Amino acid sequence: MRLRRSRFVGVAAIAVLLIPCMVSAQQAGTLAGRITDAANGTPLADVQIRVSGTMIATSTSADGQYRLPSVPVGQHTVTVRRVGYAGTSRDVTIADGQVATADFTLTAVAATLGQVVVTGVGAPAERRVLGNTVETVAGQDVSESPGATALDQALQGKITGAVISENSGQPGGGVSIRLRGTNSILGGAEPLYVVDGVIVDNSSEALVSLGANATRGGAALTNRIADIDPDDIDHIEVLKGAAAAALYGSRANNGVIQIFTKRGRSGQPRVTAKTEFSLSHTPAYYQLNMSPTAGYADVVYGGADSIGAPIQRYDIQPQIFRTAKGTNDQLSVSGGSATTQYYIGGGYNVDQGILRSTDYRRWDVRSNLTQQLSNWLEVSLGGNFIQSKADFMPEGEQTQGVLTSVIFTPTSFNPSIDPTTGRYPYNPLLGPNPFVVLNQFEAPENVTRVLGNVSVTAHPVQQLTLRYLAGIDDYRDEAKYFEPPFSTSASFTGSVQNPVSMSRLFNNDLTATYEAQPFTHIGLTSTAGFRYTSDHHEVVRAAAGDLPPIGDLVTGATQFASQSVTEFRTVGWYFEERAAFNDRFYLTGGLNWDASSAFGADQRVQLFPRLSASWLLGEEPFWKSLTHNVFSSLRLRAAFGETGGQPPALYSQFDNYLNVGYAGLPGLVASATEGNPNLKPERQREYEAGFDAGAFHDRAQLEFTYYNKHTSDLVLSVPLPPSTGFSQQFQNIGELSNKGIELALNTVNVASPSFSWRSRISYAANRNRVEKLVTAGDTLVFGYLNSVVEGQPIGVFYGGVYARNTDGTLAYKPTAITINGRADTVMLPYRGTVTLPSGATANASRIIGDPNPDFVATLSNEFQFGKHLQASFLLDGRFGNDVANFSRRISELFGVDKDTEGEFTGDTIPRTYTLNPNGRSLIYEEYIEDGSYVKLREIAVQILFDQPFVHRIGADRMTLRLAGRNLYTWTHYRGLDPEVNLFSANTVARGVDFGTTPLPREFTIGLNLNF
Amino acid sequence: MTTRPFAAHAARPALPRVLRGAVALALAIAAAACNLDLQNPNSPREDQVLSNVDGAIALAVGMQGQFATTIDDYLATNSLVTDEWGTQTKALISYQSLFTGPASAIDPSYDVVLAPWRDSYQTIKSANTLLADVPKLGLDPALANQFTALAKLYKAMSLGMLIQQYAQVPIDITVAAPTPQPRAVVLDTVLALLTSADSDLAQVTDADINANRARLLGQGFDFRNTVDAMLARYSLMAGQYDQAIAAADRVNLGVLSVLSYPAPTRNPIENLAFQTGYVGALKSFVDAAKPGDRRPAYWVDTAAAPLKSNPPDSVILPLRKYSTPNEPFPVYLPDEMRLIKAEALTQLGGAANFAAAADLVNQVRTDSISTLDQPVAGLAALPSDSLDTAPELLAEIAYERRYELFEQGLRWEDTRRLGPALTTTPTIDFLPIPQVECINNPSKPCG
Repeated sequence: MRLRRSRFVGVAAIAVLLIPCMVSAQQAGTLAGRITDAANGTPLADVQIRVSGTMIATSTSADGQYRLPSVPVGQHTVTVRRVGYAGTSRDVTIADGQVATADFTLTAVAATLGQVVVTGVGAPAERRVLGNTVETVAGQDVSESPGATALDQALQGKITGAVISENSGQPGGGVSIRLRGTNSILGGAEPLYVVDGVIVDNSSEALVSLGANATRGGAALTNRIADIDPDDIDHIEVLKGAAAAALYGSRANNGVIQIFTKRGRSGQPRVTAKTEFSLSHTPAYYQLNMSPTAGYADVVYGGADSIGAPIQRYDIQPQIFRTAKGTNDQLSVSGGSATTQYYIGGGYNVDQGILRSTDYRRWDVRSNLTQQLSNWLEVSLGGNFIQSKADFMPEGEQTQGVLTSVIFTPTSFNPSIDPTTGRYPYNPLLGPNPFVVLNQFEAPENVTRVLGNVSVTAHPVQQLTLRYLAGIDDYRDEAKYFEPPFSTSASFTGSVQNPVSMSRLFNNDLTATYEAQPFTHIGLTSTAGFRYTSDHHEVVRAAAGDLPPIGDLVTGATQFASQSVTEFRTVGWYFEERAAFNDRFYLTGGLNWDASSAFGADQRVQLFPRLSASWLLGEEPFWKSLTHNVFSSLRLRAAFGETGGQPPALYSQFDNYLNVGYAGLPGLVASATEGNPNLKPERQREYEAGFDAGAFHDRAQLEFTYYNKHTSDLVLSVPLPPSTGFSQQFQNIGELSNKGIELALNTVNVASPSFSWRSRISYAANRNRVEKLVTAGDTLVFGYLNSVVEGQPIGVFYGGVYARNTDGTLAYKPTAITINGRADTVMLPYRGTVTLPSGATANASRIIGDPNPDFVATLSNEFQFGKHLQASFLLDGRFGNDVANFSRRISELFGVDKDTEGEFTGDTIPRTYTLNPNGRSLIYEEYIEDGSYVKLREIAVQILFDQPFVHRIGADRMTLRLAGRNLYTWTHYRGLDPEVNLFSANTVARGVDFGTTPLPREFTIGLNLNF
Repeated sequence: MTTRPFAAHAARPALPRVLRGAVALALAIAAAACNLDLQNPNSPREDQVLSNVDGAIALAVGMQGQFATTIDDYLATNSLVTDEWGTQTKALISYQSLFTGPASAIDPSYDVVLAPWRDSYQTIKSANTLLADVPKLGLDPALANQFTALAKLYKAMSLGMLIQQYAQVPIDITVAAPTPQPRAVVLDTVLALLTSADSDLAQVTDADINANRARLLGQGFDFRNTVDAMLARYSLMAGQYDQAIAAADRVNLGVLSVLSYPAPTRNPIENLAFQTGYVGALKSFVDAAKPGDRRPAYWVDTAAAPLKSNPPDSVILPLRKYSTPNEPFPVYLPDEMRLIKAEALTQLGGAANFAAAADLVNQVRTDSISTLDQPVAGLAALPSDSLDTAPELLAEIAYERRYELFEQGLRWEDTRRLGPALTTTPTIDFLPIPQVECINNPSKPCG
């Protein structure tokens, strides 16, 4: 990328060249005032105040005050808006050098049609204009989300139609988000993240295998959006499907999450300080076999000489888990003059994990600076420097995993230091002693990251807005995994790996928007734009084996190194036309030509169209008279759009040659995957339609949306005849669909001076179906059981089942076993068989579960008691999803689970692995459990202090918060937590619990000070 | 509201010019950024590899590597279906099915069925690429002839290996729907390739070969002798006895030609027998040897305790040969040439030929010392009156081949050619065509 330097220089040059063009100040006055809640008089923060027809705007501080200097003299319309309140406007007259006061009181409403959203192009629009849904989450809801260190975690329960899962309870633990279902099979399924217009990396590729094996894809215990400090966020907008996200073209199949960070406001410097302290603990322990007499597994693994002998047992979970402490300190200052606004914020976050030896810390500073160079030109700079450090411990399918060791190792094993040898004993079964892992292993991950953007906005002529934005996301991720010599067995000589990943994403956008009113009743907004993105990823890996006895660096008798680089670019040109008829009916149409380096020249440029309509039926006079104002507002909307998805491997268009050394010489051979120059993006087509209806003076609003997404040209691996010298080729062949509904009911139940109460109920149901695979009978297996089968939802569990009698009960057969050297015959269930078309018999397998929920629902309530006390809670539920409980399976097979206490003392099914002559280890049906749950995701009580003692310490306001996260879970699931997933952010492999750290119960106390 | 009146502002001097500059700059950036022809930094493309001599050398090395690192796949089938190897308890059911048979037990979807087919065609694809593109490089003929001879040799060896495993195999894989050809047709192609390789090498001096040896050929690989040895081997299979004798005569029996596996690579047979732990030598191989024959102890760890095997009534012993990870594997063993000549002479018939054949057999039997890594029998010569008829000679040749050429991938074909002279029959006649070929080859090779 030889040109990048010149590009930055170019941007800077524009800024410098234009500075002399600043015009001198004209006659102006100041506008100031205070905005309060109409019901109870509480001051309202974050209210947006805009002088219509100008770029002059600000928002209120925590005490409801605002101040706008340098408003041109004359009469102006001032518009105020805030989420959750009805917007209003008023005319004010500004005199030269005078301060005009305009106070407003706002009425609480549930409707949100007046809210302004950014649609992915230069021109923001009011929600009423758009035919597609754009979900908005206020920054406050993110930064005040108790115990959430990552912003995606803070979004849980706040986006209708999103399934947000925290994959592991390790601190900095990864979160995966599915917006309106899963939209790919081999490609990624996580949405695209955009921060202040800059596409940012949210990699979840594991540099070191710590949960699921890194080769499975999306297996990292964390994902990189966790680097963004939730306290810096002003608001988040979520584009859930192709109809809304078409402007992000070939990268938008999984939806887009647009994050906007806080900006300064004109006026006195405002200082905000926040400090939080939290305590967290595991929600549960595994129930282990604590029988006082030995069982079969104890004998086999050396814990006892004979079955029934008295035995000492050890439940080490209290020594593995701990009560973890955390702190979060934030300081920000913001303010500005008429022409300069700034926001500078910094945070330091420390979180211990509930699992010993795990923790996470993050330092970050952000500054956003906006300078009006003239009344027609504005330059804005944003920068964010982040450093995060996580200390993980292995878990899941890693044999070194700590909880993995708990479920695999019979409780007759005492892992404490042997007093005679002074050493930790080796694990008799599999993997190392968990105490050795906790005390001696190291698995840190250090990230140093810079996010930066510069934008120039100009109104060179009336009604034309030009905006140029360039942004960069640059980070270095240094991981490590150190296993000391002799830690896992007497013959283990140690291993250390030290991969470093470097990632640099650049994008720039140029948009031009022209607004016109060619006819009295018709307004037009035309936008044309250009977007360029460039991604560069590099991984350099150093590793060593046969380590010296002291030291943890990559030195050792055997050394390995490797390097891999990927580069990816896209170019897009887009055009959008928005037409408003009588300000009641809106049509928006857009075209996006998108070209990507991942495709050959013939398929490179792809066209993605979109079209949407919005009709404010409730504002039509005929409707008002027809319905006698039953609805205070009613809008009908419909949208259509197409987007694309990138292929699972970026260089699949080429016949690649791989390095294969032979006889000490460097050799090259053709990859067994044949290149496909005709590969093209996976293409999604989405239709959505719905309505927003308000009643009771908009104190109740119902939003309903139906969507139908069909994704075709899914990239799948197609087998080739091996006589070609190839094994497979990636081709655009698969299809899948997601259909569903989303419902949200927002209400203002009570709004009185002494008490107000707001509620929100959301419900979303998605039906995923795999429509087409390479061959109709294909079963593609990901992870252990998750399968892709035509006609089924993606990722269904497919596995072995028991033989059954015709009435559906388990079938038993006499089976010879040997216990304590004594041969016996017992009646045991066994695996069923099926007859194949060829007449042969095979072990029976069938679809035994579905990890996709039938529906997700949330209930949130906010209460305000007087002016000083607030309370809120959020219930977040998932219903009808199955979880494969591999933790229970393993702990039963190895005699660790409490259920195995009674083996051969009355239980019908012997559960341990060693008493398993009927191949029970391959029968999975009994481990598929209902994973439905309702979690008390958030609960908070907040007390506001504005008494004189607060002012005496120099503050305007002080807020004390007591809050909790995940304090309680209602579920029938038998494991520790139904939400976690061994395979982290993997696209297909979902809903598998296997020695995975549960999400902590977290209690937080916090203090906010506003100066 | 989509339209909003724009507030009146003061005049904007000089703005359009600046703006034009900004737009021009932005468009320039846009145009410059339009290069989307990115290369894969990790792996070169085929056209890059074949654009110069260094790439061609790397492909030639890769081709040898493809062949050398997959020999276990065809040795496993050869040795398991004959009386050479048995399976350990860990072995996958597919390996056991080769050992036990019958043909109906061998599912065409098994990887053991696919592997020899897949490996051979990957090597053949590399050879085809070299043969098609090397002439375009305009190389010095001495070097170009080495490339073509090497490609023809490896293609011939791969095809030759295929017809020992499958009843019918495609030859020309550059067409969209290659159809399997009978063995005789494939053998003709193999011999034509080897003859052509021989004539290519005739135009190359030893000095030319040695000049490129360090970059092009594996260590211990003898180029000329290997071509002649393969010509002898496949001429015998094709019944072209005079050609077999002539080619075998050209092979220098004083040198070995091997595939080598220096660290960190690994001899694949060692991997299969010890790392994966699937196979071992049948104890019957040791037990059936004639008293005093020193060769069983060369191949098998005769002193070791039998391994746990499946089926349990088979008794297997650990291999001795190829029991360490970096042991080379011979492309052919020198005594194979004597036995080829002896068999060809016997087939040609006549008292003089029988006498010459008997002499060759006795040379193999009486070897008692060798400076090369090859088995020696250390037996006494047989009296000439016990080796003067075709059945006597063929029976003795069959015995010598069994002990001289153990686990060399030749035993299965021996059962076809020397069947009446052997005491064993293979568990299956041929592998079925792999299922993935049946389904995906448009020529529908399985009907």
